[in-house]
Amino acid sequence: MTITTEGPWSLPRISCALVQFSGKRGELFGRLLRGYLLMIPTLGLYRFWLTTTKRRFYWQNTMIGGDRLEYTGSAIQLLVGFLFALGVFLPIYLVFFYLSFQSGTVTTIGYGAAALLLWFLSGYAIYRGRDFRLSRTLWRGVRFDQKGSAVGYAVRRFFWSLLVLATAGLAFPFMAGNLWRYRYDNTWFGDRRFSFTGSWKTVAWPFYRAWLVLAVCVGIAVLAFGAASAGTQGAVATLSVLILIPVGLLCFLYYRSRETTRMFSAVRLGEAALSVEVKARSLLGQYLLYGVCLLGALIVLGIVGLVIAQAFDANLQGGDFSPATIARAGWIGVVLGAGGYLATLSAFTLLGEVFIDCGFWMLVARNAVITNLESLADVRATAEDKSLAGEGLADALNVGSF
Amino acid sequence: MALLARYSDGAVAASRDVVLAIDESLARPELIIADQLSYDEIDRWPLDRVFSVPSHRSELRVGVEGRPAGARLVFTGAEAMTVAHSIFPELPRHRRREAGRQLRILGFSTLALASVVVAYVVGVPLIANRVTAVVPAEWEARLGDAAQGQIMQIIGAEGGFAVCDTDPQSLANRAIARFTAEVMEGTNSPFEPQIRVVKSDVPNAFALPGGSAFYFSALLEKTESADEFAGVMAHELGHVVHRHGMEGLIASSATGLLVGFVLGDMTNISVAAAIGATLIDSRFSREAEREADRFAAETALRLGFDPAALATLLERIAGDDRMSQSLAFLSTHPLTAERRAALEQVARETAATPHDPVFSAAEWQAIRSMCNGVVPNRMQQLDETPSVRVQRMPSN
Repeated sequence: MTITTEGPWSLPRISCALVQFSGKRGELFGRLLRGYLLMIPTLGLYRFWLTTTKRRFYWQNTMIGGDRLEYTGSAIQLLVGFLFALGVFLPIYLVFFYLSFQSGTVTTIGYGAAALLLWFLSGYAIYRGRDFRLSRTLWRGVRFDQKGSAVGYAVRRFFWSLLVLATAGLAFPFMAGNLWRYRYDNTWFGDRRFSFTGSWKTVAWPFYRAWLVLAVCVGIAVLAFGAASAGTQGAVATLSVLILIPVGLLCFLYYRSRETTRMFSAVRLGEAALSVEVKARSLLGQYLLYGVCLLGALIVLGIVGLVIAQAFDANLQGGDFSPATIARAGWIGVVLGAGGYLATLSAFTLLGEVFIDCGFWMLVARNAVITNLESLADVRATAEDKSLAGEGLADALNVGSF
Repeated sequence: MALLARYSDGAVAASRDVVLAIDESLARPELIIADQLSYDEIDRWPLDRVFSVPSHRSELRVGVEGRPAGARLVFTGAEAMTVAHSIFPELPRHRRREAGRQLRILGFSTLALASVVVAYVVGVPLIANRVTAVVPAEWEARLGDAAQGQIMQIIGAEGGFAVCDTDPQSLANRAIARFTAEVMEGTNSPFEPQIRVVKSDVPNAFALPGGSAFYFSALLEKTESADEFAGVMAHELGHVVHRHGMEGLIASSATGLLVGFVLGDMTNISVAAAIGATLIDSRFSREAEREADRFAAETALRLGFDPAALATLLERIAGDDRMSQSLAFLSTHPLTAERRAALEQVARETAATPHDPVFSAAEWQAIRSMCNGVVPNRMQQLDETPSVRVQRMPSN
């Protein structure tokens, strides 16, 4: 869909192309549920196929200027990548094995170093994962790509995050500006390079506002706790937590909506420019929906579990107490317990993907406009990216998004 | 009716509406792609080189071999899709072949993983055993020291355990040392174990890798005969002789790797990974307990004390309630009833050699009163499993 606004004063023509998203949550839910169930008989290996079908859902339902995105990656590439990533973890396991023979400071230093290494590696994995997804995204027959160095990105992210930690979060806008710039300055569509016009200033105001609100609230809570008499301290602490959690969530959603809006709107591809407007209240809506549905799902799961337990208990009451019965009861108990545990865990992640992740994608896609899209008509394709091990580490470290 | 489609050539980022026709005059029929307005020919695709790619259900998307990877024809709507399917008869076969390929890879990799899991569950006790045999004894001793340090930290006994009788030449300590030497005789163990009776409110006993073993005063209070005391010590020394601490460490390192592989979280930080690893490790741990029991029973027959006395003490401390019976699959220890059955089995099968009592009446009296009047060293409850696995005695 292309809207051409042609003024009668023969100004330069500016065209806006809308981004559309035609996916339904129900369809994603169906794909996810099927995938979660298939993971049981395949000992978890189906997760690579699930990731693939999930991405196809997002990509295929996203239309830019009337043409759908195409995801060309395959599950086998993800599986092979994961096998490669195991090579990184074997030495780490050996180090852990060695550390368990040591004592005192050596162990502390060793585990600390390993944690830092994993944190560093997760930055590397995030960048490589992004590279994999972009290089397998096709639009109008031309694919995207992520260049730059994953190690370079990991180094930046590592030291920036240490600085953010040291400054109690105050350095965050600088980190966000720097990393967004690095990502987009190295993103390509065919032979055309993306650019990023934002900086730390783009998100500084919303970030410091949210930070200040949260800091004031925490400060008040601490003061109230200190002033309270010994008898009421417990009540004050409970009340503080009850207030701080929603305030924290609101601050987070406010900032996330501002960052999404402003940072995405600073993305350029040659003459084409992206502009996104995501409202904090729309984001809040997705979270509320998630909360309500999660509550409903947990209630249903609880009732089902209770009914099964009751039926099984009645069965045992009537029966004999021979060792065989008890052993069988033990197995049923273990299966029920493990099943209930897995079902609960799955409900959290499945509904999280359906409402939070998919909701976010929908909000961004449906509120995005691209100007001068037709300037991309002379972008030329580059050679195919056939590397297999693209996303391996991301799968091994569980940092993959979408 | 003209067949219309959306076309991208895969060379430049553009898409346009095209009209299609088939040239059947050739030996290999070709699809002629022409501009929808001007009817100018753009390209020709050999029909048998066309393949479909996964796409939204409202469209059929095809590519072709021999052109840029991104070259695409997109047919939108049911009617166009039906017509397109009729002119590319090979598509369903290609698709089935691709689906079959995916299924085969998924199937074979699942089978491979399943056999790894089975080989692991069955084989790791064996492998851990072999690996343990080549790990130098000094390493294990060092591991024992580290474990002891960690246990001290966990239970907050910074000054170490309060040893009940610090004089190694006392009657009780000499009796224990003599018994230890007798048990270890002929085992070819590289370790020289030392059993210490220490002050603690928890009825427990455990052995660390490398040979240090501890007998808690609360357990001693509940120990009613010299044979029970000897049974527990022989069980702990069984852990030392079989190097179970080392084996457990090797096994759980491998478990982490396997669980990480199945769950896709190699860091093993997630709750699911922790639970999975515990489930598998507890199996090895139960096996180790059985092995230590077997050692205790054989020692009992060799040295002439009652193998079942160990079970009698266990029953006194921790009977199997219904809960622990249900959760026996998760526990690190076998059920007490099961252990008694196994111990009595050994007693039935082998004739006991005549032997003097393991402890004289005076020695046993001295051991029983070792901890009288000893003040604990800021000792707290030892009810958490220490982070390095140690073999604990009573089932709890």
